[in-house]
Order: sequence, then structure tokens, then C-alpha cells
Amino acid sequence: MSISRRKFLGLIGSAGVGTAVSNSVFAASNKHFTGYPESFAVLHDSVRCVGCRQCEEACNKVNDLPEPDQPFSDASVLDKKRRTTAKAYTVVNRHDRAKDGIAPVFNKTQCNHCLEPACASACFVKAFKKTKTGAVTYDASVCVGCRYCMMACPFDIPAYEYDNALSPKVVKCTMCQPRILEGKLPGCVESCPREALVFGKRDDLIKIARNRIARYPKNYVDHIYGEHEMGGTSWMYLSGVAFQKIGMREDLGIKPAPELTSGALSVVPMVAALWPVLLTGVYAITKRKEKIENEEKNQAVNSAIKATKAVAELKIGEALAKAEKEQEEIVEKAVKSAVDNAVKANTEEAA
Amino acid sequence: MVITRLTVVLTVLAVAVILYGSVQAFDQPSQDSGQKRADIIKIDGMKSFGNLERSGVVFLHDLHTSALQKVDKDCTACHLSDNSKLSLKFKRLKDTSKNEVMNIYHDNCISCHVEVAGKGDKSGPTTCGECHVKTSAYVASGQPPTFDKSLHYRHSKSQENKCELCHHEYDNSTKKLIYKEGQEGSCRYCHKDVNEENRMSMKSASHIACIDCHQKTLKNKMEAGPVQCGGCHDPDSPNTINRTDIKNIVDVPRMERKQPDFTMVKTDVNDKEQKGVMDSVPFDHKAHEGYNDSCIVCHHKDLTSCSSCHSIEGKKEGGFISLEQVMHNPDAKESCVGCHESKKKDKDCAGCHELMGKHSNNSSNCGKCHMEQVGNMKEATTSHKSKTDKSARLAEMMLKSRTPITATYNDEDIPEKILIKDLSNKYEPVEFPHRKIVKALVNNINNNKLASYFHAEKGTICQGCHHNTPPGKQPPRCVSCHVKQAQDKGSFKIGLMGAYHLQCMGCHKEMGMEKPVSCTDCHKEKAHEPKK
Repeated sequence: MSISRRKFLGLIGSAGVGTAVSNSVFAASNKHFTGYPESFAVLHDSVRCVGCRQCEEACNKVNDLPEPDQPFSDASVLDKKRRTTAKAYTVVNRHDRAKDGIAPVFNKTQCNHCLEPACASACFVKAFKKTKTGAVTYDASVCVGCRYCMMACPFDIPAYEYDNALSPKVVKCTMCQPRILEGKLPGCVESCPREALVFGKRDDLIKIARNRIARYPKNYVDHIYGEHEMGGTSWMYLSGVAFQKIGMREDLGIKPAPELTSGALSVVPMVAALWPVLLTGVYAITKRKEKIENEEKNQAVNSAIKATKAVAELKIGEALAKAEKEQEEIVEKAVKSAVDNAVKANTEEAA
Repeated sequence: MVITRLTVVLTVLAVAVILYGSVQAFDQPSQDSGQKRADIIKIDGMKSFGNLERSGVVFLHDLHTSALQKVDKDCTACHLSDNSKLSLKFKRLKDTSKNEVMNIYHDNCISCHVEVAGKGDKSGPTTCGECHVKTSAYVASGQPPTFDKSLHYRHSKSQENKCELCHHEYDNSTKKLIYKEGQEGSCRYCHKDVNEENRMSMKSASHIACIDCHQKTLKNKMEAGPVQCGGCHDPDSPNTINRTDIKNIVDVPRMERKQPDFTMVKTDVNDKEQKGVMDSVPFDHKAHEGYNDSCIVCHHKDLTSCSSCHSIEGKKEGGFISLEQVMHNPDAKESCVGCHESKKKDKDCAGCHELMGKHSNNSSNCGKCHMEQVGNMKEATTSHKSKTDKSARLAEMMLKSRTPITATYNDEDIPEKILIKDLSNKYEPVEFPHRKIVKALVNNINNNKLASYFHAEKGTICQGCHHNTPPGKQPPRCVSCHVKQAQDKGSFKIGLMGAYHLQCMGCHKEMGMEKPVSCTDCHKEKAHEPKK
């Protein structure tokens, strides 16, 4: 064998480390993308939001969505938690904070238009695209309806037209991309009577948000949700209470989704390539071990046989020697007695 | 060989994953549930000897005191005394060792519980798990009591002004507590949160001194303060220090500590830089005594003047915090600005001031406190001999020269109603009762000396809403700054609709007003709104 077992294991180990290191380098192949320069975003200030649902109504109108079961002026809709659907790209939820001794907090939910969208990274037909305006757009013409995007979205946003039997689409907030291109504000932003929604360049909005936190420190949690969450989003939030108390995930971390998945996915070829090598190596080593064991066994058997043989020969030798001696003694004795008898007879004759 | 190594690695990984999962599963129990009690003592002192083997014991002190009272037992049933003072510890004077302390609790608690139960009475737990519970059925609601002026007055009156009964100082040479007349200060000046050399913690000192005296008074069949936990620590309990049978004094007479009625807040005479500093601030000491519960609110370390520790440049005694900083720190309750800022949070003031945000002070206000001296005042003080008296007299004169006037424009200059119609689309224009609101705000200010001093200019009150414009009789309309579109793109200045809603609703919310609840509380819906 030209390669020792120890060396082989060492190689496997270093190969593992090697792949791990190169893995992290490749995973960040798109570096840390901080969004397209000058791209637009929306800041939602939940401290200002009063839950009037004007944004929902405006969204419904600009997107030609079907009329809801209950009118937008019906506040009882807020009594239960809702999520985005194929018929409502945005929903406002009420979070009762009586426990904290404060009035209910309202929070608007819609697509957050991630800087590096999970839906786009999960989509194998590239139906989702992060555009330079900031909006994450969807191209229904290529969509195959696998709904991986729905699984991938950490915010549970994309909805599906389940009741459309012939050509169902994935639907989500478009950030009013067509309106933005026309120089208009997104429908929800335009309709908000308290300017709880601000539309502008993402960099400007971060400054505005910081400014509000600094000017009204008592009113705000010192955090801009979406500035870094999931690598940053184009829809950001301010709040007066912890974000998880208004139904927002605080466990997402700041890594963009593609970085997380590309890491995992890049492991797949490594696993596929490395396992056979590893297992073959393991097999070879086991094989060799068996061979050595056999050899050792034979050797032991042989030596045992040899030893037994030697002992047996020795014993036979001794026995033969003893027998010979006895034989000699008998002969001697017989000779002696014969001689004695002859001597006796001679003496009797002489007498 | 390799297989076993792999197996070990995999097993370790699996165990790690399982353990991580189980750690996740143990969530902190919520503190919301459980009966609230002010007398909870957590017996976990043994943790000073290392980690506890079992969870600490939640002990209900008042429950035990009452139970012992019924069988004619007093504090000495549980507390040993040292130099006739009861030790706060249970059945011991000192924490000796973990085992010894643990045994003291186990032996004494259980034996007493067994004894009581033997007599057929209701008794406490005797098995481990009954005391050492992971989650208690009780929640501690005890609050630190405040020995305010009212309480101080009640004590000094009942003790016939014998200050020495409570106030003392430690004399290092004789190693005794002595009383120095005229040097009385707050307990807190010496007794800190934890025991220090020669001085016990505030907690120990107050429990020993207060309860001891209350006990003795009770024994003499006299009316006394509380002896149970809830009496001082539970403001909601009927037996508290605030109980109604001893009336809370509303107008507490001033404490007699030879403090000035008026004083001049200024740099220390020993401070090198006397020239070119801001004008001294005349200070109404007597009035400010009335605004606060105790001296310690301002005199946080001792009862000397501010400048004795805080100089212009800052010195060691004052933690190197300069006089300017201590007086103007908007976040410190001891500072002038900090306290005055906090007044803006009162409901009457918050409507305008909270919306202005932090640091809304402008430099034109400096002269309000740093008043210019008027010539003839100096002459008027010549009759006083000592320097302190002179500056006090000067301060008094300056303060009295102030004429607090809440002024605003005459009624005819204040529009009675304003029709807000710039945006009327879905709703009818809003009829805004302008003069009524101005009058209500003026009334709030008039009821407040501080506020009226700072709103003396006629246009000041208008600036609550008509902000960022020069004060005047006819401020510009909102629309001259706030554009009619939904949002002023680029400048990020708030649009007109946002401005109205934030200003009106923000003020209503801060002032604790119930309305508006819905849109139609302000807006009338248009009669002929076309249906969709």
C-alpha cells in the first residue's frame, strides 16, 4: 500500500475543511448586497398607524381586486389576525397591548420586497426578480406553479389563486411598480391619512427613521425593522413596542436568504462527490484490516501447529528413546539371564 | 476503528441537537399569573455560598407574623437579637456556612410546622417539594416606600421634634453614633443599597430602626406605624402608611433645617472663573420645596449648595460634572431643565410639547432663568450684612420683579371657527372650534406658574400648532408649508393631510381625550357620495 491509513484520513479531513472554507467564500459570491443604489422603499411607522385600513382599500382599488366580503370601513375585520391572500395584497392587523398598558398597535403586512429575495432564490424558472426600483416583480408567464416561493418566503407573503382552476398565479404586493414607473406613489402610501407610510429612496428613509427615533426616543424602539433583517428589505418598519409583539419575526437574522440557501445547496455536490470517496476509503480500510487479520490468523495457526508439532516430536523422541532404552534393558537383561543360565549350566556340567 | 469514530461524532451531534431542542422547550414561566403579595421573601441567601441545589423558597412573612401573633408569639420566635436589636436573619446573627444556614432553615421551619400540625392546627409544609417549588403561586408586588415630607412631618410631630431619635452620624474617633444638630440629612446619604464599612444598607437600617420603634410604641399601647410588610410596601393595602385613619397632610409645614427661602444659583465663590459666566439664577427655594416630595430630589448627595460639588469645570466631588451640565441635563431629574422638561409630559402640556419632540428648547429661553440684574436692586441689598443674605435678598427681589402674565391676543383677534376644507373630498369640510381650543389651552397654562412664566409672549401659545413660523397675530395657513399631495416627495416634509391628522389626533391622544374614535367624529360624511 502506497498510502498509509493515517495519511488517508488526514487527506479526507483536510478535504472536508477545504470544502467548508471555499464553501463560505462561494456562498457570498454576491457579497453583501445593500440594494440597488437609489432604489425606492417604504417606511411603515406603526406608531402613527391607527388601523383605518385606507391602505387596504387603496390597494384593492389600484390593483382591481374583487370587493371584500366586509367593507373596508368595518373595523370588526380587525378582530382576528389575517394574512395576505390572493384578494388582499396587504392587510392591517391589530395587536392588543393592554398588558403593556398601552393602546392597541396596528401593523401593516405586505411583501417586504427583500433586497435579496428568498422567493427569487427558490424559483427555478426565475419568475421573481428584484428590480432597480426596489420592487420584487413576478412574471406569471414563466411560473410553473410549484409554489416554492411560498415555502421560501420568511414573511409568509406570496399567496396563490387556488380558486383559479385554469391559470392560477402566485400573487403578492407589487410595490405598485407600474405606478412607481409613472412617477406616482404606491396606492397605500398615497391613501394613508397619517403618513404612517413614507415612500422614498431607501437611504433617505433610513435617515428619516433614525431621526424619528432620536427626536421621540420615548415613542420608538431603537430599531429599524428591515434595515438588516434577511439582508435588508425595501419595506421597513418603526415601532413603539418590541417587533415580535406586533407579530413580526425577530428570529430571522441579518443574512439574506440566498446566502443561507446557497450555502446549503453548495454542500449537495460536495456530499455527492465526497461520500463515495469516503465510503470507498472506509471499505478499503476495512478490507485491508480483514486481510491483515487473516494473515495474522494463519501465522498464528501455523506457529501453533509448529509448536504442537515440536512438542509432539519431542514427546515421541522421548518416548522412542525411552522405549529404546527399555528395549536395550530387556535385551541386556535377556542376554544377562541367558549368560547366567549358560554359566550355570556349564558349572553344573563341570560338576 | 474509523466506524466507531464516526459513530461517536454522529452520536455527539445527535445529543447536541436533542439537548438544544430541550433547552428551547424550557421557557421562562410568565410572571403575569399568581396572587400578588407585598410580603414575599425569597429564601435563597445560600446562593452566596455557591449554586443552589434546589430552587429558593418563597416565604410569606406577614402570613407567619399573623399566625404567630395568634399563639402569642412575637418576632423573637424567629429572630435572634443582638445588642437588643433584632437580627433581620432567621434564627441566626450571621451567615456562617452553607450547611449551617441550610440546617437552621430545615430544622426550625420543619420542626415548627410539625409541632403546629401536631396540635391539629393549620400548618406549613414539611416535605421538600412543598417549599422548594419551581414556580410560585405568588407574585411579589412590594414597592419601596417613600418617606416623603408628609410622613416626615407626622413622625417629627409624634416624636415632639426630637430629631435625634432618627438622625445620627457616625463618629469615627469614638466609634459611636452621635447626633449633630443642624446637620440632619436624608438616611440615603449614608445608607446605600448594600452594607458598607460602618454603615448598614438602607434596607437593614430602615427595617431595624422603623420596625423596632413601631414595635416598642405598640407595646406601650400607643398608635404606631406598620409592623408588617404590607403596611409599608403595599400601597394598595388598607393597612398602609397612607391609611386614612392617620390623615395624609396636604399642606405639610416646611421642614426646619435653616434652609433659605430664596437663593441665588451661581458659581462657587472659590471658582476661578467668575467673569464672563452666565448671569446667576434667582431660585425660589421655598416654592420648590413645595413642588417636591423630599429634599433628596434635588440635593441628591448632601444638603449643601449645588456649586459646592459642581464647579464650572467640574471637580472630583461632583463626579467631574460641571455646573452647566447638572443644571441643564434634560434627562436627569435632579437638574432644573430635566425636572422642567418632565413637566411638559403632564396631560395639560403634552398636547403641544410631546409632538415637538426632544430638545425643543431654544436659546431665547436662556434669559428666562439667567435674569439680568437691575441696577437699583444692588443698592437695595446694602442693608444686609453677610454675602449669603445679600444674594438671597437679591434673588428674592429679582423673583418678585417677575410678573407672570399669560397673555394671548384679544378675542376679536382669535378666529372663532375655522373651516378646514383644503382636502375635502370624501367628507364635508371640518369645522374647527379654534377659539374654544385656544381658550382651553390658555386656561391650562394659567393654572400653572411654571407654564405661565414660559408662555408670557402673546404668540407663544399659538406656536403649539402654528409651529416653525415667527409668532404673530396672523400665522400662515398650514397649506403654505404642507403640500396638498399625499407626500411632499424629496423634502419628506409632511403632506397636508398627514399634518392635520398627526397634529389634531396627536394632541388629542397626548391630552387623554376620548375622541376621535372614528373618522366621523370630526368629519361629516358627504351626503351625496357616489356609490361605487
